Amino acid sequence: MDRAHVGALVQTAVDGDAAAWKALVEGLSPLVWSVVRAHRLSDADAHEVYQTVWFRFAQHLGRIREPDKAGSWLASTARHECLKVLKSLRRLTPTDDPQVLDRISEDRTPEQSFLDLEEAAAESERIRRLWQEFEELGERCRQLLRVLMATPPPSYQEVSVALGIAVGSIGPLRQRCLRRLRARLEARGAV
Amino acid sequence: MDDDVNGTHGMDDMDGEAPLDGEDLDLDLLEEELRRAAAVLDPVPAELRRMAVEAFALHDLEARLAELTFDSVVDAIPVRGAVDAPRMLTFHAGGVTVDVELTAHGLMGQVLPPQQARIEVLTGPHPGEPLATDDMGRFTHDRPPAGPFALRLRTGEGVLVTDWLTV
Repeated sequence: MDRAHVGALVQTAVDGDAAAWKALVEGLSPLVWSVVRAHRLSDADAHEVYQTVWFRFAQHLGRIREPDKAGSWLASTARHECLKVLKSLRRLTPTDDPQVLDRISEDRTPEQSFLDLEEAAAESERIRRLWQEFEELGERCRQLLRVLMATPPPSYQEVSVALGIAVGSIGPLRQRCLRRLRARLEARGAV
Repeated sequence: MDDDVNGTHGMDDMDGEAPLDGEDLDLDLLEEELRRAAAVLDPVPAELRRMAVEAFALHDLEARLAELTFDSVVDAIPVRGAVDAPRMLTFHAGGVTVDVELTAHGLMGQVLPPQQARIEVLTGPHPGEPLATDDMGRFTHDRPPAGPFALRLRTGEGVLVTDWLTV
């Protein structure tokens, strides 16, 4: 999300405008979710951390020093809360990794033509393979790419605080990770 | 911690201008494809989005914020074998301290300096379960909180809300 826009929305929300708050949620939810997902928590923990982050944000709204950087604030809060949950002794349960591969879009309408269905099936298959290769990347690449693929794309500042990586390292690391991913796809003949 | 990111000087081009433009574009497209895949395969769950929208109810400029200043998960050295060790939390707001101990059986705590307060155990944007302290500011609750957690305290001096955290 555009920073100046975020800053303005935060100010408006501080004054009590629920629509501005909703716009912030719509615009920054995928970033928070991506950061949480990048840390490989169980589904239950991921849901709880996501909520905690937003509850905290609502609570801190009027006290955030740099409203323009609300995205970074959220990303950083999400990271800290994830690390804490991972550290907590009571949470040594293995991650029940989501069966995302089975969750392919369900909103096919009956009126879609056979051809559309064929195309959609091919597209689904491609996405499925891409995701599978992504999941099997090394932990560092998987983390970085999971955050980078938020919608809209996060700023490097946001990525930096989300993962504790220097801003200057993100570009090169991103290239390397995407290259690795592409190489895996090529090896599988999936490009 | 950044060593394995920065310390490599190999064949990998480590500055943005080395690769051909074509490759840059290629990688951009791949990232875009990942973005689409994430939107389909791992989107923000709708109920979570809804919950975040509702969280606006927690925006309260009147309440003073009691910041988390100690959390045994982070600040204490873990005791080996102590699987069921309570989680100790301390919150501060101005001159008021709130100590909380969470166990598998519930929570207990104390407001310091000792004073009476009405307390709500919050787990989300909606009103939480009410508790009252004794004269010494002590309180107990026999249900262990799970998930997002905060306390809202009404003392003689006004309303105080603790930082949210996940338990």
